[in-house]
Amino acid sequence: MEQNNKKFNINIVFIIAAIVVFILLPNFVSGYYIRIFTAIFMYATIAQCINLMSGYMGYLPFGHVMFFGIGAYITAILMGRGLPFILAMPLAALSAIVVSIILGFPVLRLRGHYFAIATIGMNGAIMSVAQNATEITGGAMGTTYPIILLPPGQVYNYFYLAFFGLMVITALIMYFIVNSKFGYGIRSIKANEEAANSMGINTTYTKVSAWAISALFTSIAGGLYGYWMSFISPDEVFDLMFVTNSIIMMLIGGAGTILGPIAGAFIIESVSEFAWSGFMEYHLAVLGIATIMIVFFVPGGVIGTITNRIKNRRIALNKKAEVTNG
Amino acid sequence: MVDNDVILDVRSISKHFGALKAVDKVTFQVRRGEIVGLIGPNGAGKTTITNLVTGDLRKTEGEVYFKGTNVSKMQPFQIARIGLTRTYQVVKPLQGMTVEENVLVGSLFGRSHRENDLNHAKKNARKIMKLVGLDKKKDSKVSDITLPDLKRMEFARVLAMDPEVVFLDEVMAGLNPSEVEESMEMVKVIRKDKQLTIVYIEHIMKAVMGISDRIIVLHHGQKICEGSPQEVCDNPAVIEAYLGRRYAKEVMNNK
Repeated sequence: MEQNNKKFNINIVFIIAAIVVFILLPNFVSGYYIRIFTAIFMYATIAQCINLMSGYMGYLPFGHVMFFGIGAYITAILMGRGLPFILAMPLAALSAIVVSIILGFPVLRLRGHYFAIATIGMNGAIMSVAQNATEITGGAMGTTYPIILLPPGQVYNYFYLAFFGLMVITALIMYFIVNSKFGYGIRSIKANEEAANSMGINTTYTKVSAWAISALFTSIAGGLYGYWMSFISPDEVFDLMFVTNSIIMMLIGGAGTILGPIAGAFIIESVSEFAWSGFMEYHLAVLGIATIMIVFFVPGGVIGTITNRIKNRRIALNKKAEVTNG
Repeated sequence: MVDNDVILDVRSISKHFGALKAVDKVTFQVRRGEIVGLIGPNGAGKTTITNLVTGDLRKTEGEVYFKGTNVSKMQPFQIARIGLTRTYQVVKPLQGMTVEENVLVGSLFGRSHRENDLNHAKKNARKIMKLVGLDKKKDSKVSDITLPDLKRMEFARVLAMDPEVVFLDEVMAGLNPSEVEESMEMVKVIRKDKQLTIVYIEHIMKAVMGISDRIIVLHHGQKICEGSPQEVCDNPAVIEAYLGRRYAKEVMNNK
């Protein structure tokens, strides 16, 4: 028990140290790296949301980017009507939650590929609303955010910090969720939905709640992204690539772990930055091959593999201790 | 027996799959504290009845009352939360979790589903694992343990839910004779300890006869006989449909 506490404390010290380093980082590195890190934090947040749905609950929400788009669009529309970001963003997040609940009840009855495909369809439907409701959304041409009257460097630092904060808060909340009673409900659904139901878990309620939570954080990421870019268009913020990238990050980092999506985002964004500058046309192919290799050879992802090793070693040590004592 | 003692009242339930009447107007009652054996040849409708009672399958017709409440339209999780639960013939472990976590989920979400304290639920899970003899395996992944242990785990999981009535669907299938012996002892002890009411589905006659207070025999989805183990063995329809003449004689001689 004591040893556990000690370990827990060391982990906390590491995490706090990392947080401090990242908060201070903008003072030391160039704007180029700040931009890359901001993107990493954003992807880590989306990957975390997909991890809750897929890594923990077993429902791969391929069209999850719809909440990213909803967050971006509603924030833009409300800010266009004169609302400050601090009000527009929560309202956008709220609408994303409402949409996720309304769509969740019918769609979460489907499983596996059917669920994934249905969410893609819904993303398409919402995207075409954004494209065609020209008076409200600006149509296919896209829409702009109010310009921030601050020096660009400072603005980028703010977005860096905002996305960093979002990533940390999302990870923390996910950590508490998966280690709670609700989290056991979520994991039981992935493990065996019929058994979960017969054991007293309200599976419908659990699935819809989990989806609403991941919609919430994805939509915040969307709103921040839009404000950061200051211009959005439907085929950009409803682009399935956001989700595909996040899924790859989750898989490589380790599905079903809290640090996995974060590690995956760092790895993929760095590799993709490197591959991008090295061989422009092939960077998707490199990513694709890397993903296939990971899924085949290290299915637990980076973090999953490491924690499994540690766990196995601990079990082996315990067994050894038992043998020598008994 | 007073009517108050009836904890589970199954009234004329049917399940039709197209033209096939898997369960056809079956009526039976279970009294508090008894062990009722449910036997019949393969395809007689034993598991289907379990699915109908616990809400896993929708009934074509009929009603189920549990502790006086009509549970016919309820979902499995609602039925589980008021204390009626089951194990699965084909084990359904929560894959990717440890044995302890499996039992813990039962403890968290079962009848005492107001249990929100993880530590408390964990303690309860440990106690039950000890009771069924799983405490040594608690950190194993469910994919690493043997079938008898999986069946034990299913039983532990159900017990952790603190139910009043349990349907045990072939908890002994696939076990060797000494394991059956062990399992029977376990069921007896736990039944006393937890004051459980059990509906026991089994093909191993020795186990059913030895454990049940009353036996219901199904054939082609219909109830063909109900009574004490002795009565059931004497019933010509049961002998014809299921037991066979030689076996019935054997049982008679042993008694």
